[in-house]
Amino acid sequence: MQRALKLAVHDICKRYESVNVVESVSIAIEAGQVVGLIGENGAGKSTLLNILTGIVQADSGEMVLDGKAFRPANYAQAASRGVSRVFQEQALIPNLRIYENLLLSHEARFTHFGQIIQRRRMIELAQDIADKAELGIDVRRQTSDYSFSKRQLLEIARACVVPVRILGIAQPVILLDEPTASLDRADEDTFFRLVASMRHEASFVFVSHRLSEVLTISDAIVVMKDGRIVARLEAREANEKQLHGLMVGRERQADYYHESSQAVAGDQFALQARSLSGVGYRDVDIDLHKGEVLGVGGLLDSGKSEMGKGIVGVIPPWSGKVRLRQGDWHNPDMRHSLANGVGYIPAERLAEGIIPDFQMAWNMSLASGDLFSSRLGIWNSRQERDVAERMIVDLNVRGATPSSACSKLSGGNQQKVVLARWLCRSVSILVLDNPTRGVDAGAKEEIYAIIRGLTAKGVSIVLITDELLELIGMSNRIAIMQRGQVTAIVDAPPSAKPSEVEMIRLMLPTGDAIRPASAA
Amino acid sequence: MRDDPTPESYGTALPQPTQVERVSAALRTGMWLPIGVVVLLFAVFSIAAPSFFSLRNATGVLGQASTLLLACLGSSFVVLMGSIDLSVGAMVLLVGSATVIALNFGDLGVFALAFAILLGTGLGAINGAIFAFGRIPSFVVTLGTLSVFTGAAWQLLEGRALRFDSAVFESLAIAQLIPRVPNIALFAIVGWAIMAWVGAKTRFGRYMYAIGGGEAVARTAGLPVRRYQVYAFALSGAMAGLAGALATARLGAAGPTLGQDLLLNTLAAIVVGGTSLAGGVGGVHRTLVGVLIIALLDNGLNLMGVNQYTQMVIKGAVVVLAVLISQDRGRQMIIK
Repeated sequence: MQRALKLAVHDICKRYESVNVVESVSIAIEAGQVVGLIGENGAGKSTLLNILTGIVQADSGEMVLDGKAFRPANYAQAASRGVSRVFQEQALIPNLRIYENLLLSHEARFTHFGQIIQRRRMIELAQDIADKAELGIDVRRQTSDYSFSKRQLLEIARACVVPVRILGIAQPVILLDEPTASLDRADEDTFFRLVASMRHEASFVFVSHRLSEVLTISDAIVVMKDGRIVARLEAREANEKQLHGLMVGRERQADYYHESSQAVAGDQFALQARSLSGVGYRDVDIDLHKGEVLGVGGLLDSGKSEMGKGIVGVIPPWSGKVRLRQGDWHNPDMRHSLANGVGYIPAERLAEGIIPDFQMAWNMSLASGDLFSSRLGIWNSRQERDVAERMIVDLNVRGATPSSACSKLSGGNQQKVVLARWLCRSVSILVLDNPTRGVDAGAKEEIYAIIRGLTAKGVSIVLITDELLELIGMSNRIAIMQRGQVTAIVDAPPSAKPSEVEMIRLMLPTGDAIRPASAA
Repeated sequence: MRDDPTPESYGTALPQPTQVERVSAALRTGMWLPIGVVVLLFAVFSIAAPSFFSLRNATGVLGQASTLLLACLGSSFVVLMGSIDLSVGAMVLLVGSATVIALNFGDLGVFALAFAILLGTGLGAINGAIFAFGRIPSFVVTLGTLSVFTGAAWQLLEGRALRFDSAVFESLAIAQLIPRVPNIALFAIVGWAIMAWVGAKTRFGRYMYAIGGGEAVARTAGLPVRRYQVYAFALSGAMAGLAGALATARLGAAGPTLGQDLLLNTLAAIVVGGTSLAGGVGGVHRTLVGVLIIALLDNGLNLMGVNQYTQMVIKGAVVVLAVLISQDRGRQMIIK
């Protein structure tokens, strides 16, 4: 079937620090086409969508929309040209009425003299949109009256319908980023019918981890890996197993992860957790042995990061107990963790890991007020500087002195400073959340070597990561989480590492969601 | 990110800032701008108001500036950790009034000072506890207690100025251990030196910077953030108490207008001195210069015969200007 070319992307590249997030990506989207975009966490899908919608700008490359150059400087510009997006996080304002949210920022079209709002006209149009999309909602009601799933659906409907009905754009391009992740079953069906009904008047880019859905809904499928496009297929010729293989299938170099020095875990438990539940995770049981790296993998909504914070007590869980070194069971609590040699490194380095304005030494000593100040609270700056100097040498923090501001360091070196925060005290358990995110290849390997060195000394590590190879290469055992629960635990000794395909299959929702009727 | 021709920026520092960025950063973090302003004010007023450059006037400025400096010593830490204490002036008033009443009950003499500091600490701790554990913005908490403390003080005073009769207490502030320097100025300078040391050399000081610079980071690193937030407000109260007692001793009475000018003046001095309202940058050592600027401005404008209302306009403008210059606008997207 030959259709008009709608949006063409040529050779787009985007780097963050020295990491290529999107590399030489070219895609052609035809009018009325549904393109499925898949890839594991960090493959570059979200960055690509950000570039298409002007939220970030590409370093190089071109985009052409309807035969004209397309370089949106922000989201509003992209939307005005007909490229709109449904975000993973909800962008509805809960204290507004549904119709107000649905037509938000388009009020000017429903006014007398530019200010006085014609409420009835807005409501009529909004209700019509909602009915056509079969949302089954009353647009006059407060947005917060409806369930999360309904609101998500509403948002999708808004992105689909507003460009055509309000802005009068023929054939908009609608980007859907994991639209079904938070939909109820019934709302999912509505969603598929909505997309099916709009096929002749819009193009879609559909990002999802649910491969069965991608296969049913898409015309073409694009697979991304490490920022590159590794495959383009016709959806009707593809199958799930083949896609699994395409999403992963990298060469894992055992040296890079120092697999030969993977410690054999002891029998004693360093940390145990029982039925931990909190925001985003529930009934999590964890057994961490002495000297072990326990990997935790899962999709972005798996709750693994939240669980990590819960175990340490950074954000105390609602319920559940932990115990250290087979001691007493107690509620997770940060102060207790700190006093008993448990450390935590967050995923969001700039928001939670380091204070950019602080000197290296200050960032290092942040968790160790007990070590660097006397009982009266007088700070020992000389000792702090000496330890910082030692840490800079030990961890090879390049270009840093104890007094250099952390904002001047590269991502990898910043992360080493966060590691130094815990290594300068005698920690015996470390919970690491994506410790190599935004870190270049060389520094990554150094961080892996540091982790191996720690386990050799009997330190136990919980390694929460989005990177499959890291998960497989570094871990003694791997816990897989899905939707807040641990669904599998896999052994990963150096001699018998599980494959990426095996991992991804365990992480993705099971393939029972195929809905042949919706594709019609 | 711009295109970087080097294949690996691995291990090297990030790109150096441009000249403009460097100058703006220097203005933000440097101490020279406020000091320059002090010199400038000094020069201008010396020429414009003949009586400005005299020993007698200097003694007067010292006395006035001392109360302000004392009141700023604790609240500088509150601003440094990213919060705000609007109730400083009200605490000065309430503690001053209570001290006079206590003195009239029985001659406490020097111990009145201890009473004032204790009372102030208690008031500040109330602020801090409501803020840290009630999870209410410090702006709101202290705006409320500003009214509560003021009302309570006026109740105590029954709307009048109350005198006290204690030569010992009076001499705490106005006697001159060093000729021409009233003792209250000694208290203020020594207090400032101690607090500057506390800011630079103690765990408390470091935690103030950490909470102001990145509260989320501080929490993830396991700092007892809320406890230290209470400490900061309690310190602000303690110093307000000390300022209240000494100001009362200096004036010989506590009246309904005691501390009234401190609401604007403390914040003005802290911010003009170079402590960012966003927190994490600056410190109490900077506040001395800010206090000098505000005190010189007050005194010089008075001597020049500028009327009270115009002075209010000028001072308000100076504060807004100082924040405008010092704020790193790139960081905050939403201002409420």
